[in-house]
Amino acid sequence: MFRNLLNTLPYQEQCHTSVLDRLILFMSVMIILSLSGCDGEEPIDEPDNQSAKIRISFSHLIDDQPIDFDTLKYVNEAGNPYMVNEIQYFISDVTLFRNDGFARIIDDWKDIHYVDTDLPATQTWEVYDKIEPGTYDSIAFTFGIVPEKNISFMFVNPPEKDMFWPEYLGGGYHYMKLNGKWLPEGQTVQTIPFDFHLGRGQVYFSYPDSITGFIDNQFNVSLPASGFHLNSGETKEIEMIMHVEKWFKDPHVYDHDVFGGYIMQNQEAMLMVKENGHNVFTVKIKD
Amino acid sequence: MQFLNDNRNILYSFGIIIFLIALAACTRNDEPELTPVHQATPYTFEIPPGFPTMLNIPEDNPLTLEGIELGRYLFYDTRLAGRADEGKFMTCASCHIQENGFVIGMPRPHPYGLDGDSTHHAMLPLINLVWNPGTYGWNGSVPSIEEDVRAVITDPTEFNSSPEAVVEAIQNISGYPELFEKAFGSREVTLDRIARAIAQFVRTLISSNSKFDRYLRGEIQLTQSELKGFVLFTTEEGADCFHCHGGAGNPLFTTHKFYNNGKDTLFTDPADRYSITGDPMDRGAYKASTLRNIEFTAPYMNDGRFNTLDEVIEFYSHHLLWSPYIDPLMHHIANGGTQLTPSEKTDLKAFLLTLSDTTFINNPKFGKPEKFPDEP
Ligand code: HEC
Ligand code: HEC
Repeated sequence: MFRNLLNTLPYQEQCHTSVLDRLILFMSVMIILSLSGCDGEEPIDEPDNQSAKIRISFSHLIDDQPIDFDTLKYVNEAGNPYMVNEIQYFISDVTLFRNDGFARIIDDWKDIHYVDTDLPATQTWEVYDKIEPGTYDSIAFTFGIVPEKNISFMFVNPPEKDMFWPEYLGGGYHYMKLNGKWLPEGQTVQTIPFDFHLGRGQVYFSYPDSITGFIDNQFNVSLPASGFHLNSGETKEIEMIMHVEKWFKDPHVYDHDVFGGYIMQNQEAMLMVKENGHNVFTVKIKD
Repeated sequence: MQFLNDNRNILYSFGIIIFLIALAACTRNDEPELTPVHQATPYTFEIPPGFPTMLNIPEDNPLTLEGIELGRYLFYDTRLAGRADEGKFMTCASCHIQENGFVIGMPRPHPYGLDGDSTHHAMLPLINLVWNPGTYGWNGSVPSIEEDVRAVITDPTEFNSSPEAVVEAIQNISGYPELFEKAFGSREVTLDRIARAIAQFVRTLISSNSKFDRYLRGEIQLTQSELKGFVLFTTEEGADCFHCHGGAGNPLFTTHKFYNNGKDTLFTDPADRYSITGDPMDRGAYKASTLRNIEFTAPYMNDGRFNTLDEVIEFYSHHLLWSPYIDPLMHHIANGGTQLTPSEKTDLKAFLLTLSDTTFINNPKFGKPEKFPDEP
């Protein structure tokens, strides 16, 4: 019954490290420490005349307006009155496609970025990578984290570590926590919380005790109208916009009265979230 | 250390030893020292496997062996309150008692200060505070441990004393000035140095050797009941505790965040999180304090309303109360709780007890010194 759990001794599995490995690790830690000083932030590297930079900002709208958090004033496609309290998510492997076929993945310093509507610092990403100038046709990214990189315990520091997805449910990290409340059918006052959480789904032999497999639910987002020209020496401002109402809309009308407050153990619901995610983001690029 | 924070997973698989020498290299010491060449011995800090690598150690108060030793004496010396002349003795350890996970323990939900007034809230333990991001106290109002020490001295429900009386008391005990010299470079006793030394000691109070830690390190196996409890703890369908209290991926067993967990319908405490942020959603919200050593730190909640873990589990299972301020992570509110069955409650409790770390509550380095500086 607890087969998965018994097989998962979390720290142990990665412990086949020799003394030499440890030494190398230790030295790299020391080098990193001395290079990056005391500061935990991504370093800022000015563009030179061969290259350009990008700065990605994240904004969150409902019905095309900035979100009034904690306020019961929205109605989703299914007709549920709702509010949003906070949104926390990862995007990763941001890729810029140039018109000559060259694909540039953002991964020089980090390839996974965390966004939190409560933490303004996470809403602007000064990308470290120096980007090759030219004309780019489009931008794509992974919503969440691809399975090869979605490894338990890789984030030990807040805020990312608080996104952990329990080992028993497949491990790794939540791709998203969208937390809010809705007014159930027939209620006038008493809202109920919904935790619209996306991550690794499970296949159950018998629910909820026996899990026989896992399903990864991350997905690829190709941003419409995301072409731009990058001149050497410039820093391009790219605004990624999440349209929250679309999570509940297309192609599936997502009804909180049907799916209830929590879905981490409900692959049917998470699959709908994943499929609704394709057009949740749009982009605005400053000339 | 973004690099460490990033997804170079292998790095986290075992303890990364960070020598504070490296950190000390970038600290500035703003305090004018009488002996400029003074060097205290940097303290080597070992980060347990899976724990955050970002430590909250102020730049101007790096840990040193001498500072920690001094801090430990002060933490346990009941003359610290500076009121021995009135026959009144109190120090940190009067309330923060090691064998209780550094709370005062039962049967007193709220401890009393030197003049008989009880503290506003029940106690918080002193466990793994080097990882607290700077929001100490149930409502997060205290920015540092140093600040907390200053507050304790004058608080009418604690020492109810004055910085002058405290400094004078310590200055006049033989042996202390020498320890201040070793730690800070001169014999001068100041409030600032007292606060810094005690804070250094408190930052060394680390618990990372519970049964659950040993399970995560692959050293032992949990019982079937404990494992079931762990699954309940980390599943929404189960007891649903992990979003606020952590789990294997967050071994601190606290997010250091503030939530309204549905204990009441009316919120009148003038010292809840709302009193600090002014955000209406923070009414009745408090820090989801660590569940490490929870077996030893009764009574529970900011008002000490629950005496046992069974009562806590009953509460989360059946007695949640709705209010507009309830945290969105409390989605089981729709049914008044998670509705655990009696055997599930037993399993959940068995898991909570695996968070007990007897090496922490018995560690002689955290305990009362054998003798004080003026004792032969
Ligand atoms: C009279 C009893 C009493 C004494 C004496 C006392 N404390 Fe406390 N301590 C408390 C209580 C009660 C709380 C919880 C306060 C709150 O948040 O309302 C607390 C909280 C704390 C916290 C915050 C912990 C956290 O997790 O946020 C720290 C740090 C602390 N005390 C350190 C000290 C130190 C250091 C001393 C000695 C200088 C000391 N205390 C003396 C009762 C006491
Ligand atoms: C929505 C977030 C949230 C969830 C979910 C949650 N808690 Fe808590 N927990 C809190 C907060 C906040 C406090 C402190 C509340 C207070 O002091 O009034 C707390 C306090 C506690 C305490 C007392 C801690 C102390 O030092 O006094 C225990 C024990 C506890 N929770 C256990 C659990 C268990 C077991 C579960 C799952 C059944 C759980 N909690 C689920 C937020 C949460």
